[in-house]
Amino acid sequence: MSKIHDAVGDLRRLPGVKGVAVVTSDGLVAATSLEEGLSADVVAGLSSYLMMTTNKSLAEGGLGGCARLSLHATHGKAILVDLTDSYLVVMFDQFADPMSAHKEIDEAAQRIRRASRLS
Amino acid sequence: MHLIQRMKIWKELRRLEQRAREQPAPTTFVDLGQVYINLDEHDKAHRVAEDGLALFPKSPELRQLLECARRGLRHKRAAELRAKAVRSPDPAVYRELAQVLVELGDSAALHQTCQEWGVRFPDDAGCWLVLGQARLVNFYRDLAAREGQEAVRCLERAVQMAPEDVQARRMLGEVLYRIGAVRVAQQHLTHLVAFDATDAEVDALLRHVASLADHGDDVEALLDEVESQGSLRHASFTATPRTAGDEGMARVRDGLAHVADLPGVQKATFIRGSKALVKGAIRDGKDPFLRVARVVAKAAHRFARRLDIGTANKSVVEGPFGHICVCVYGEALAAAQCTDAADLSKVMAELQEIVAGALHVVEG
Repeated sequence: MSKIHDAVGDLRRLPGVKGVAVVTSDGLVAATSLEEGLSADVVAGLSSYLMMTTNKSLAEGGLGGCARLSLHATHGKAILVDLTDSYLVVMFDQFADPMSAHKEIDEAAQRIRRASRLS
Repeated sequence: MHLIQRMKIWKELRRLEQRAREQPAPTTFVDLGQVYINLDEHDKAHRVAEDGLALFPKSPELRQLLECARRGLRHKRAAELRAKAVRSPDPAVYRELAQVLVELGDSAALHQTCQEWGVRFPDDAGCWLVLGQARLVNFYRDLAAREGQEAVRCLERAVQMAPEDVQARRMLGEVLYRIGAVRVAQQHLTHLVAFDATDAEVDALLRHVASLADHGDDVEALLDEVESQGSLRHASFTATPRTAGDEGMARVRDGLAHVADLPGVQKATFIRGSKALVKGAIRDGKDPFLRVARVVAKAAHRFARRLDIGTANKSVVEGPFGHICVCVYGEALAAAQCTDAADLSKVMAELQEIVAGALHVVEG
């Protein structure tokens, strides 16, 4: 479990990252590192809703599952990565460039997947 | 409410929320919305109806739920405004309250509000305009002479009190030419041109009215004739900026074709409301890409709004199908499905151009 927390903590240190969370597909929090004002339960619930809704529409159309979802809003950005049964959620401020963090996010996702399998 | 009762309802809500998330169905959303309505939480019922409609856009039950939630919200807003009008009367508060009552279709309350508004602010023509508007809606619906007479009386009063009020004068001019009082209507419409000589729409309307036959100035008799014949003398002139709209859609179509021609792009669409323009390898309206684009836009919007990070404008979904890029501004949505070979930032920039252009057409 500490490996997952380490991966989350490492991502949180990237510039422009406001919060990182690992949430289960049913909306429970597995690990978080969020800035003040961001509620872990809210992030988990909404991330689960977004990924489940997206996956449902993709599955109904026979398109498979969603591996990654990137979102740009007026005051913030988010990247959600599928970890099989759970998601990695990375929240950015509006000035960050999430594309530049793709490599680190992929590495962290890989570490979390490995740690989950071992535990 | 009793504490145990509250806990039971809370438990039921949790169960329904979970069911709506795990096994979404129109009935689940309706049940959940109904519980919120019973708890007088219409804002939550509205949210539930919107979420349900994002997944089941054609469900009549969910549309009813949305309408019911909206009515509840309007009732709540009306009560708030009424209390505000009592506490600190202000024409703006009365105007908003009257507008909410018009939307609710509550004629009795509207009359009472306008009466109060007129008594407290006798120099404000707003109450006459709103009353005239409400009467005019009834007249166009039923073609009842009495409603028409009331509408004309209220609008004339509004014009008399505020001669520069473009809206009142225009509505009065329109109803007059439609019942056959073309000459009187022309006088009002000419005033509109005097206020803004550059308004092409008013100019076109005036030219249209000039081409119609006049049936005299006796408004009362003309309204009686309309009622007995069951039809208006002249058809409505809808001065839609057709050329601008067509040009705008042509630009959207060209933009979409340009996106579809970019390397790696397989499908592209532009959606506004229930209509969609498509380019590329799209079989028909049931193509899953169209549904995914809509659902992702809606879900992303809700995600961003509830996380307080503003409005979701751009989303990219990646998977074994490649990438689905979605760009949304207001009601306009543009999306593309592409392979890994596509330059996503370029595709996104083009989609953004399309929706921004479409938005300009709507606003223009």
